[in-house]
Amino acid sequence: MSGDDRILLARAAAGDGEALETLMSRYASRIYRLAYGITRSAADAEEVVQDVFLQVVHKGTGFEGRAALSSWIYRITTNVSLNKRRGKRRELETSLDELLPRYRADGHREGDRAYLLTDWSGTPERELLAGESRRILEAALDRLPDHYRAVLVLKDVEELSNEEVAAIVGDTVAAVKTRLHRARMALREQLTRQLGARS
Amino acid sequence: MTCRELIDVLQDYLDRELAGDVVAELERHLEDCAPCRAYLATYRKAREVGAAAGRVEMPEEMKTRLRRFLLDKLRGS
Repeated sequence: MSGDDRILLARAAAGDGEALETLMSRYASRIYRLAYGITRSAADAEEVVQDVFLQVVHKGTGFEGRAALSSWIYRITTNVSLNKRRGKRRELETSLDELLPRYRADGHREGDRAYLLTDWSGTPERELLAGESRRILEAALDRLPDHYRAVLVLKDVEELSNEEVAAIVGDTVAAVKTRLHRARMALREQLTRQLGARS
Repeated sequence: MTCRELIDVLQDYLDRELAGDVVAELERHLEDCAPCRAYLATYRKAREVGAAAGRVEMPEEMKTRLRRFLLDKLRGS
């Protein structure tokens, strides 16, 4: 952690509004994106941001880690968000295996050929992010298990390296890569079933 | 290379983490396999739109509430 961060944390802990404002401008949006990405609820994400900021300010001055403050904040945010989700909305989560490709004995894909050729990738992103397509996309994200969404957000939204993500979630790089790939395949499958049927 | 082998390494292919000979084999398979071309295109697009959907902004009124909450807590403790 830089000396600048340490001073800001000490000042914020003493109730300095300006220091708090600087910390918020640096970290609040990132904490919220990750918290929302995992909890999928604005109200839960708001509580996570409050909790994380209090932890950061209270424990931050004593944080002697060599890692960047941002990595530590991501780690706390991930843990608090996953804890908040514990026991909630499990019924929405789909078995990922059902969303992964199926293969024939010879290693080629199994399934109806017309479906295997379904390709909605030419749909402009702005269309996919609006209206009914957006609803489908959000529902597909909802159905991913929480810890899969955590790595998706850290990697694809926050654009961290596999190594950084692994350190934050406390797993190996290989495990993170496997989880990412399965999450992306599951997302792709859900979108293809829904968007392909509409095209 | 089979479809299964291709899909297993798709993420590494997009991240440019595969050895040159594997890339060549994968791209040869893609030339001959329309389902895998569709899979690659939709996998890539799903990754892009999933990331775009995740770029949410913290609402301004929430920032105001957070600022007030934190100042109350920090000055009150």
